[in-house]
Amino acid sequence: MEEEEIQKAVVAYLRKKGFTNTELALQEEQNRVSFSSNSDHSVSRLENGPVRYSDGYSKLRLWAYSSLDLYKHELLRVLFPVYIHCFMDLVAGGHVHEARIFFHTFREDHESMHLRDLQKLEGILSPLHLEEIELSRSFRQNKFKIKMCEYSYDLLLQYLQKTQSFTMRGVINEHIDFEVSPGQPTLSSGDADFVTIEGRKNDLARQINQKEIHWGLLEDSLEQHLERPVSDSEKAEILIPVNSLIQKRPLDGGKQGIPVKMVKKDKLVSMVGKNVRSETSAVSVAPRVKPELTLPATLVEVEQAILEDLRSRVQLNNLALPSISFYTFINTCNRLNCSSISQDGSLVAGGFSDSSLKVVWDISTIGQLVKTSSLQGEKESAKNENFPATEERRKPYTLFHGHSGPVYSTTFSPFGEFLLSSSSDSTIRLWSTKLNTNLVCYKGHNYPVWDVQFSPVGHYFASSSHDRTARIWSMERIQPLRIMAGHLSDVDCVQWHANCNYIATGSSDKTVRLWDVQSGECVRIFIGHRSMILSLAMSPDGRYMASGDEDGTIMMWDLSSGRCVSPLVGHSSCVWTLAFSCEGTLLASGSADCTVKLWDVTASTRASRMESKSSSSNRLRLLKALPTKSTPVYTLQFSRRNLLFAAGALSKCS
Amino acid sequence: MSIVPKETIEVIAQSIGIANLSPDVALALAPDVEYRLREIMQEAIKCMRHSKRTILTADDVDSALSLRNIEPIYGFASGDPLRFKRAVGHKDLFYIDDRDVDFREVIDAPLPKAPLDTAVVAHWLAIEGVQPAIPENSPVEAIVAPSENKKSDNSKEDGLHVDLKLPVKHVLSRELQLYFDKITELTVTRPESILFKEALLSLAADSGIHPLVPYFSYFIADEVARSLNDLPILFALMRVVRSLLQNPHIHIEPYLHQLMPSIITCVVAKRLGSRIADSHWELRDFSANLAASVCRRYGHVYHNLQSRLTKTLINAFLDPSKALTQHYGAIQGLAALGPGVVRLLVLPNLEPYLQLLEPEMQLEKQKNEMKRKEAWRVYGALLCAAGKCLYDRLKLFPGLLSPPKHKVWRSNGRVATSTLNKRKPSTIHSMQQPPFKKMAVDGAIGTMTTGSQGAEDRFPTQSSGAGMGQSSAAGQVSVEAIGGRRAPTGSAVLAQAWKEDLDAGHLLASLYQLFGEGVLSFIQPVEMSFFV
Repeated sequence: MEEEEIQKAVVAYLRKKGFTNTELALQEEQNRVSFSSNSDHSVSRLENGPVRYSDGYSKLRLWAYSSLDLYKHELLRVLFPVYIHCFMDLVAGGHVHEARIFFHTFREDHESMHLRDLQKLEGILSPLHLEEIELSRSFRQNKFKIKMCEYSYDLLLQYLQKTQSFTMRGVINEHIDFEVSPGQPTLSSGDADFVTIEGRKNDLARQINQKEIHWGLLEDSLEQHLERPVSDSEKAEILIPVNSLIQKRPLDGGKQGIPVKMVKKDKLVSMVGKNVRSETSAVSVAPRVKPELTLPATLVEVEQAILEDLRSRVQLNNLALPSISFYTFINTCNRLNCSSISQDGSLVAGGFSDSSLKVVWDISTIGQLVKTSSLQGEKESAKNENFPATEERRKPYTLFHGHSGPVYSTTFSPFGEFLLSSSSDSTIRLWSTKLNTNLVCYKGHNYPVWDVQFSPVGHYFASSSHDRTARIWSMERIQPLRIMAGHLSDVDCVQWHANCNYIATGSSDKTVRLWDVQSGECVRIFIGHRSMILSLAMSPDGRYMASGDEDGTIMMWDLSSGRCVSPLVGHSSCVWTLAFSCEGTLLASGSADCTVKLWDVTASTRASRMESKSSSSNRLRLLKALPTKSTPVYTLQFSRRNLLFAAGALSKCS
Repeated sequence: MSIVPKETIEVIAQSIGIANLSPDVALALAPDVEYRLREIMQEAIKCMRHSKRTILTADDVDSALSLRNIEPIYGFASGDPLRFKRAVGHKDLFYIDDRDVDFREVIDAPLPKAPLDTAVVAHWLAIEGVQPAIPENSPVEAIVAPSENKKSDNSKEDGLHVDLKLPVKHVLSRELQLYFDKITELTVTRPESILFKEALLSLAADSGIHPLVPYFSYFIADEVARSLNDLPILFALMRVVRSLLQNPHIHIEPYLHQLMPSIITCVVAKRLGSRIADSHWELRDFSANLAASVCRRYGHVYHNLQSRLTKTLINAFLDPSKALTQHYGAIQGLAALGPGVVRLLVLPNLEPYLQLLEPEMQLEKQKNEMKRKEAWRVYGALLCAAGKCLYDRLKLFPGLLSPPKHKVWRSNGRVATSTLNKRKPSTIHSMQQPPFKKMAVDGAIGTMTTGSQGAEDRFPTQSSGAGMGQSSAAGQVSVEAIGGRRAPTGSAVLAQAWKEDLDAGHLLASLYQLFGEGVLSFIQPVEMSFFV
């Protein structure tokens, strides 16, 4: 009795002071308490449960749709969680048939936003399945978090009280957390930001994302080697007689398949560009970090070659777009699963579903043939064309046999002497491109290995698999060095950070995670994609990461904050591959919709820094869409000189 | 409730030897079967994604099954999509058509061709962000502006300029050469064949023939000059031009300067074709339309294109020393450019020209039947051009000829038809021209100053003798009708409207006077009904 007295007093006090919101909240709280205490009874009431759920939901829906326009979009956000949980409650209660009917009646409302989730949930037919599907489990265990303004919240509370629909109230209380913000309702755009699954997973994510990460580049890197002499003897550099450079060029130019003319121009541009870069590098103030892994020593000649490449790099920006050399696989009969291109573009490898691996050599001569026949009228063309004529009998590629299942990924070591391939036979194989033979077979994964990637310095590599782990390996050991476990579903793609201290993994659980290589800990979780992640790329300055998913959305993430800088919308189908240009100003994406798109990174990151979230700036960043002739783009690779290589298999549309 | 009915479970149970499966078990199994199916498909989709495909194949399902440690289903793996057939008598029952294969057949059959081996070809998808127009790239809509910019960029760099012109010669692949040879051969030898029609379609749609455009334009220019006497070839050539112009993938502008003279030649040449019976008129019409379409499409890029064309045509038209065929071509060419051009350039010269044409058309003055026929052709073309112009004007003022007084029209109309039935009105008309003009001006002033009555009264009386004033009166009267209606809206608007209407009225009047009732057929049906 005393308690009631106190309550009455409190209510009276609130009423007197005009704290209506608090009063409502209090009543709500009381109801919840009483409801949860009544929950034992609710089991018995489930006899007429199914009807209550669908009735309650349809009433709520009607009310939300007929509410004031200003608040409507906020109230509509409540519907999806309620819908999902009503459905799952019905299934859990054993009313499978009713659940089906309920599901299909209201499915259309949510199809545009949550199609993939719905497809997964559609299969749930018995309470047992609820336990088996990760998605439903995560829905059950976590809470939705919905942001809305004060007034919308009030409206909702009033509705729930007025209609006395305990079922709905129960669902909402149980599964939704409201984040009530004072003031006007938010703009209706970008609903995705406002409905997030909150709870253990997100708490975890938040917790994890607070860890410190050092995304600075390695100290003592070659880039630094380069920059130092430039700043010291800037004038001397520019005064280098152009003739001497040109004389050197044809050799390398021929190897890379770059027309001589272009390289010469690149030269001039890069001279100018260098100053710009030294400025930009001054702006990004990330402290250089020490490598956590012992890095392999680079040979002096290799180092020289890289420095040479860096010196003759074309400066790319939103005005100077790259040249793209496209390697088309023909006559593949839809069997090409993956392809990769070496750093200098001279080697192309293709992994096939018949377990074979074809490494195409002499791409330089192929490139030259095309070049001489269609683009450039060089004098040597006559000589060059004689060459392949004599060698035509020889196969233009080397066949690597060894795997016993479809090859899902290949990667070249940074200097092109090794090739790694991963296959559905759950092994990874190391091949030597010099000896044309298999060197090592790495067994460790238990299921198909979806992706394998060499580290930027070589020697180490990372793999990801259907067994939900990612692993770090070194070439000299047949056991993995680290196992990264934590993803809730397949790990579909993996990518190294520029400083080799982190790897990023993208998964079918729609998250991207960043792992510390040394400790094997997850240091970041990036949540925001709506379908499985297919491709990842790290910016060369180590600050940003791009991820592409099955729907064609690309997201740019800031590693330090763990937030999405901006979604890049434009592709209509799977984004198979992503690549940053060497100085990080452009992002190239290749997709199943047969286009290569170039995005302006500087604009997108700058816009986010200024916190301008207007949608117009979102649209601006697509620089160019380059359609291919019915060739989905499987892989993209920027050479050190910023020439972009792309590869794909010609697929005739039937 | 599940998409797998329990009957299916029972059938499957029987097929594996469980005869008496209780219905409860089937009922319980059905949903689980559906769930497992969905699970397998989900895994299969994963495999599909990792094979970088967007179409699910039987292989993907097999790999998904092996992921779950289940024996794959044999017999379905093939590169081709499976072809399902509908079972007869069932709405949604499908099966795969699996034919019996006779071993003997297989053994006896000659070895099939070895499939082509996988190969890699390289091409430039983009050069500094710009897609080159090569057959390997998908056709681009607008390759114009950026590529030109780039060229100018490149030419700034000294020393490199010389290379730039070179590529054109090297682009031509063997296939393209064959294509070119075939098309040119067809054009010259068999312009009537069905194959040529196919060739035209290909020219109009193919994306890879851009490198051939200079060759085609040269070929056309050359061939037109050479075979002026061969009408079918000329016609075929013009068709080729039209197809090239239609092709959305090629960039024909740089070659227009080469094509236009050929087209104009086919419009205004003195003689086209060798035989008298040749219907060179059609070719002239066709080419005239072609020239006009070029002007319409590229006129905004090359400002002097249309002016140069019209200058050429009007020169041909106004030069009395040129042959009538040339006049005809010029008139058609101008007419194709639109009524505006006709009003501006042809109509002012109509009267003197008709005086010139008159003797050629009359039996007594022009004894040569051929010449006379030509003259009538020209007359027809002029009539058509002027008529279209008139039609266009009248269209602007739909209310123009609305009938305020039906009776007057009827009577006048009758007069007109009766007087004009004789086929030699132009002499009289041209004689009576000056007074009529004065009269029209009078009328205009009259309507503006004194109001409707006076003018209306004056006109029919003055012109009834010749029976031609009625059309001018048509203009006048309707002006009044409109004016009367619009009166309150303000004098400025009114004056404007009157002026415009008067223009149309005058036009009709003078055209009628020049051509007789032939011109009336160009007035819209509604108005027509008043006249006839």
